[in-house]
Amino acid sequence: MVDFDPAIINKTFETTEPVEVRADWLQHYCQVIGETNPLYVDEDAANKGPFGGIIAPPSYAVTFRNGRHFFEHVPRFGRRGFDAGKDVEFVAPIRPGDKITLSSAVKEIYEKTGRSGSMVFVVIRSTLKNQKGEVVAHIDHRFMNRP
Amino acid sequence: MKNFEEINIGDTLGPLELTVTKQQCRDYAQIMGVAGIAGRFTDEEAAKKEGLPGIILPGNMSLGLLAKLVTDWIGLGNARMTRIGTTYRQPVQPDRPITIQGFITNTDAAERTAEIELWIENEDAERLVIGTATVTFGK
Repeated sequence: MVDFDPAIINKTFETTEPVEVRADWLQHYCQVIGETNPLYVDEDAANKGPFGGIIAPPSYAVTFRNGRHFFEHVPRFGRRGFDAGKDVEFVAPIRPGDKITLSSAVKEIYEKTGRSGSMVFVVIRSTLKNQKGEVVAHIDHRFMNRP
Repeated sequence: MKNFEEINIGDTLGPLELTVTKQQCRDYAQIMGVAGIAGRFTDEEAAKKEGLPGIILPGNMSLGLLAKLVTDWIGLGNARMTRIGTTYRQPVQPDRPITIQGFITNTDAAERTAEIELWIENEDAERLVIGTATVTFGK
């Protein structure tokens, strides 16, 4: 049975400073990932589209924070772990000029036993908000630790 | 992109065949801000020291590629990807061909949504990354 203080669940352990989404960063991201959808790369087409202007590809939401400092705040259950997956809810588009903050809390911790032995999963939920305080995305980061 | 009324369970997305380069991995790691601290995405030797075959794609980059399959399918249509979930089963390596594909597993007329199963497979048809996504259609 995995041992941790239940008080850490759902308690925000970190809220980041706002990061401004620069238009040139978005274009670079699209280039690297191979995104060619006009909604993300073609201003004229995007202006006529359903969002009235360029928006970030939805997957841009996961580039803001990637867990590299999460384990300064939450238990690590073992020598090393890795990113086992993500669940992302895209609530509203991210646009150039938006200032994004992330608040993160431990959502759940659970143990699983597979063929390769025991694993502890730590799920951290990050909520992304823009400068208006609107939620743009929820990201559940699922980290797997091996004791 | 079709309207909600035109899609059906079993409709396919892709296949999208591509080969991600090592430079793309490095660029993605730079975007995430981990290029200097996660050598497995940027440096062949550092990756091998971790027991990996060489540089691997960041998990988030695989998520981005799966998302691209969906957003390509949506095109300029009146629909939006509202959710994606991924599980990283095996490392995805650059400079090796991968295929990204998916199909519609369910639709909900009341919610005007489509559920899509997605995956990235290697040349041996091993599914390295699997996922699901939800697309919500406008009216």
